[in-house]
Amino acid sequence: MAKQKKKLYALLENKKYGFNLPLTETIKIGKREYKIILKEDEKYGTYILWKNRRYPVEISLSRQNKFDILFNYVCYSFTIETPFSLKRKQYLDKTKGPVENEVIKAPMPGKVIEVLVREGDNINRGEPLLILEAMKMQNEINSPVNGIVTSVNVGSETSVIKDDILLEIRII
Amino acid sequence: MNIKNILIANRGEIAVRIISTVREMGIYTTVIKTAAEPAAMYLSKANFIYDDTENESEIPVFLDIERIITIAKDTGADSIHPGYGFLAENPYFAQKCSDNKIIFIGPSPDSIYKMGNKIIARKIALSNKIPMSVGSEGKIPTENKAIRVAKKIGYPVIIKAASGGGGRGMRIVRKEEDMPKMFRLASNEADKTFSDHSVFIEKYIENPKHIEFQVLGDKKGNIIHLGERECSIQRKHQKLLEEAPSPALTDELREEMGQMAVKIASAVGYYSAGTVEFLFDSKGEYYFMEMNTRIQVEHPVTELITGLDLIEEQIHIAEGKELRYKQEDIKLEGWAIECRINAEDVQASFSPSPGKIEKIIMPSGKNIRVDTGVHAGSVIAANFDSMIAKLIIYGKDRKDALGNCKQALDKVWIKGTKTTLPFFRMLIRNQRFLDGSITTSFIENELTTYHINSEYEEMLAAWLATWLFVDENFDESSLKIDFEDAKNINPWLLNKRINRH
Amino acid sequence: MDIDGKYYRSFKDRIKQLEDQHSKEKVDKQHAKGKLTARERIDLLLDKDSFEEIDAFVVPETQGIEFGKVEKHYGDGVITGHGKINGRMVFIYAQDFTIMGGSLGIVHANKIVKTQEMALKMGAPIIALIDSGGARIQEGIASLSGYASIFYNIIRSSGIIPQIAVIMGPAAGGAVYSPALMDFVFMTSFTSYMFLTGPNVVKEVLNEDVSFEDLGGAEVHAKKSGVAHFIYDDEENTILGLKKFFSYIPSNNVENPPKIEGTNYTPDINPKLLDIVPDDSNKAYDVKEVINNVVDKGSFFEISELFAQSLITGFGRLEGRTIGIIANQPKVLAGVLDINSSVKGARFIRFCDCFNIPILTFEDVPGFLPGIDQEHSGIIKHGAKLLYAYSESNVPKITVILRKSYGGAYIVMNSKNLGGDYNFAWPTAEIAVMGPEGAVAILYRKELAESDDPKKLKAKLVKKYREKIANPFVADEKGFIDEVIDPAETRKKLITAFEVLSNKWVEAPSRKHGNIPL
Repeated sequence: MAKQKKKLYALLENKKYGFNLPLTETIKIGKREYKIILKEDEKYGTYILWKNRRYPVEISLSRQNKFDILFNYVCYSFTIETPFSLKRKQYLDKTKGPVENEVIKAPMPGKVIEVLVREGDNINRGEPLLILEAMKMQNEINSPVNGIVTSVNVGSETSVIKDDILLEIRII
Repeated sequence: MNIKNILIANRGEIAVRIISTVREMGIYTTVIKTAAEPAAMYLSKANFIYDDTENESEIPVFLDIERIITIAKDTGADSIHPGYGFLAENPYFAQKCSDNKIIFIGPSPDSIYKMGNKIIARKIALSNKIPMSVGSEGKIPTENKAIRVAKKIGYPVIIKAASGGGGRGMRIVRKEEDMPKMFRLASNEADKTFSDHSVFIEKYIENPKHIEFQVLGDKKGNIIHLGERECSIQRKHQKLLEEAPSPALTDELREEMGQMAVKIASAVGYYSAGTVEFLFDSKGEYYFMEMNTRIQVEHPVTELITGLDLIEEQIHIAEGKELRYKQEDIKLEGWAIECRINAEDVQASFSPSPGKIEKIIMPSGKNIRVDTGVHAGSVIAANFDSMIAKLIIYGKDRKDALGNCKQALDKVWIKGTKTTLPFFRMLIRNQRFLDGSITTSFIENELTTYHINSEYEEMLAAWLATWLFVDENFDESSLKIDFEDAKNINPWLLNKRINRH
Repeated sequence: MDIDGKYYRSFKDRIKQLEDQHSKEKVDKQHAKGKLTARERIDLLLDKDSFEEIDAFVVPETQGIEFGKVEKHYGDGVITGHGKINGRMVFIYAQDFTIMGGSLGIVHANKIVKTQEMALKMGAPIIALIDSGGARIQEGIASLSGYASIFYNIIRSSGIIPQIAVIMGPAAGGAVYSPALMDFVFMTSFTSYMFLTGPNVVKEVLNEDVSFEDLGGAEVHAKKSGVAHFIYDDEENTILGLKKFFSYIPSNNVENPPKIEGTNYTPDINPKLLDIVPDDSNKAYDVKEVINNVVDKGSFFEISELFAQSLITGFGRLEGRTIGIIANQPKVLAGVLDINSSVKGARFIRFCDCFNIPILTFEDVPGFLPGIDQEHSGIIKHGAKLLYAYSESNVPKITVILRKSYGGAYIVMNSKNLGGDYNFAWPTAEIAVMGPEGAVAILYRKELAESDDPKKLKAKLVKKYREKIANPFVADEKGFIDEVIDPAETRKKLITAFEVLSNKWVEAPSRKHGNIPL
């Protein structure tokens, strides 16, 4: 809220990092404050200089309050929340209830070689769902959940692009 | 016969690697420029470039036997080095070379064929009393036969492509009801990948280590081994990190397995560099798996601990010269580790992450060797493998090598694509890896995440995300809006706007 | 004046009563739903202390209520007034759900109408923060007349001042036409809904079960119906987004869009642009990468991001000045034009034309989407809307053909003869009546049928067609495009071209209004 816009939180799954506003370019560890320097140059590209070490950074997504930061080659997906939006989130998580559908999307562009399941099939976590040929590799797409296949949107020889919905599973 | 001009029928880091030795030997190199990579690094290192960018064939040139032979003739190359992958283990290609009086820098077509067909290789191993896991006698034509054979051997079993290798076309089956589906999958994939749908079945060895022996033989029948490499860090049979020697072998066992490797190589009259792969189980038993009849990606670790240059030896052998070393000349010294830095997303199960390498700075120093085929501006294309560089580290012992590796990993700087670096940075801190006891199932069974979790790095990333949010939304100084300018309109336009209908 | 006197005291008392009306209990109730109160929303949106309220003390109509009960209170469930966003005047009305559920009675409606009239007189944008249970049933037909007056005023102001609706709670029944008539609709996920008939009616009439969220939630309107142009996860981000959006648009149809000073500019010569479009025309790429490497750094602001994604629409800036951007998205359905994308594009062009925003088109379009469904649903008339909008608009219009530009879609995407002021092409452009494969199949049908190796012959012919026909040089030589440009210099070329066009005016023939194929 405007009046108490004194703090922001960076949320990463269940972890929460709080930062006081106005945001300083330092991080405090124990009693010492360490300066963070964000820089870009010809030799290294964009990086953060912290405690005399350079860390490569890239911003792979910046959309509204969502940021995907590639920090030292590891990708972190943050949402930035205010104290009020954090409370709202907790309230909504309670009322929305658990996610019931798992949507399986193409992790990369490619061609479906074979679909191994049919609508209505019971499947277990880790079970292969389909084979996607991409970059000359046959990749097995496995189920991340236990459930029932509710829809299959592709067949063999279907070409897909990244994030195309391949099939949907109702979680049980 | 002395080789004068080698056509390298390959690309990427291995082409660069071959050229670096060949130039030292005073031999010319010829490489092929393709439309897919007209600015690749390997082109800048060679003496001659054959321009194949106008080639419109659907088959990539590196897989096109006829075309490679024609190029060799056109460019006056007297020999071909196939590198790894592509045509390296194609007996027809090796034969075609010899038919055209071109020296194939590798083994004979006959040994490639025999070792390439896993069913024949099994028979040869069996008749030479090489330890092996139980398996089917020949290829398995139907699902029903597969079920019968598997029942006899006992589950779990592994279905393998007869013409396979490098981990492709393998399926593990743990229970009978999975067999029909898995059989179909393995057979389809074998057909697609190797144009041969035949498969065979073996007893599946649970949680083995992958240990392989480098062998070197000449055309006069001398064969020696250069010790082993351990390649147990692998995912879906794709190797990620290799080391030499293996922490699991005693000197006695090394000698015994080395002799087995020499024995099977001798059985097919092997010459050139080759690799005999074994599975090594928790009881210390070892089983012959297959022989690779080419130079391997991980050959540098053997080079570092033996001091040999395997490409140089391959060329000597191809020229018909006698091996320059006897078994007793080979001394293994120190420890070497190779990390395959690939353009892959370790947070999305190692899926390929193609893109343009914007910056690449690799560490250098006494104990560091880097084999790479890319520089800043190179593109990791979707149609080739995802290798960016191999970081090869030496140390006086394993502990020393691991320490050097940890430091070197932190000095790698690559921008543009995701890389496997977070995986190695995690691995180098993993206790199970450090104590040397891991097996090939380590990644899939023992790890839940494939990247390093650093508390401070995560916190810095959180700070950056917050900083970006603040910069975009609250920093009013960053957005100076000039509303007065909006009212500053040329009368020509203003009058017309006001008077419009 | 005697500040202890009777008049001053009752003046102060009234202010206190108004404040007391927003009791902690009511505020907490709104907060518990994850929603802010109307006043908090206004505070977030407007510059500090800039809000001036109008009609705070009106009381609801209680006369002649024969059904139900209306309790006396101040303001009648809506806060109206004006204030400033980043220093610029806007009018605003915010419905207050804590007062009678934000329901619309005649007094409530009159307050809105008064604000609308003021905004029109002053040539200032108007923002509606909507959070209302709908018509006040107790007041009967009077509340309906209130809605009608509001709609009438929106239509009268349309194309003169920007009108923005922000849905932050329910908007049901006839009330939804107020946002629908406005220029842009913002919604907050999970706490805002829009529908003509609610889930209960759907259940009664059709016996179908549907939740509020699935019937008219923010996501549905952003992805499927296209009614919502922007959605955000929470109200604070919705308002931040609205503020950002505001920095792109002018106050009225006479002014120019505002100029931004001192942003980070992208380099005028940008070699990154050479790497984005693949040589192989069957390969997809993300056209947003092209946009982001042309406009001022970080200035691209997408509109209707989740709807009809094969066509991108949004604002960006070149040297601080707003432009409207339309781009085919090869990453989605190869960038094909279909009914939804045509309508999305047409509506956006008309907004830009109303408010003096120049239009930049990036073209890489294989054609219109074929199919029974599309034809039967009227792609002919919907595609015509895009054509109409491009031709009708008289703001500066520039097209850059990145790759494919075939057939009818070539014409539609702001071709030279539709009134494109500058039509540039990259060397990768393929401009022709149809794609190589299709053209070869028609022109050489017989030869292909008779050939021993039709595949090889076809490949040969396709290659020849590409060399002879499907390139930008033929069109360049014939004058159908103005220039084939180096991709790296795109930004530089565009800046110069828009500068030349900054005083452009095309006299429209005198008429009441054209007849766009609706």
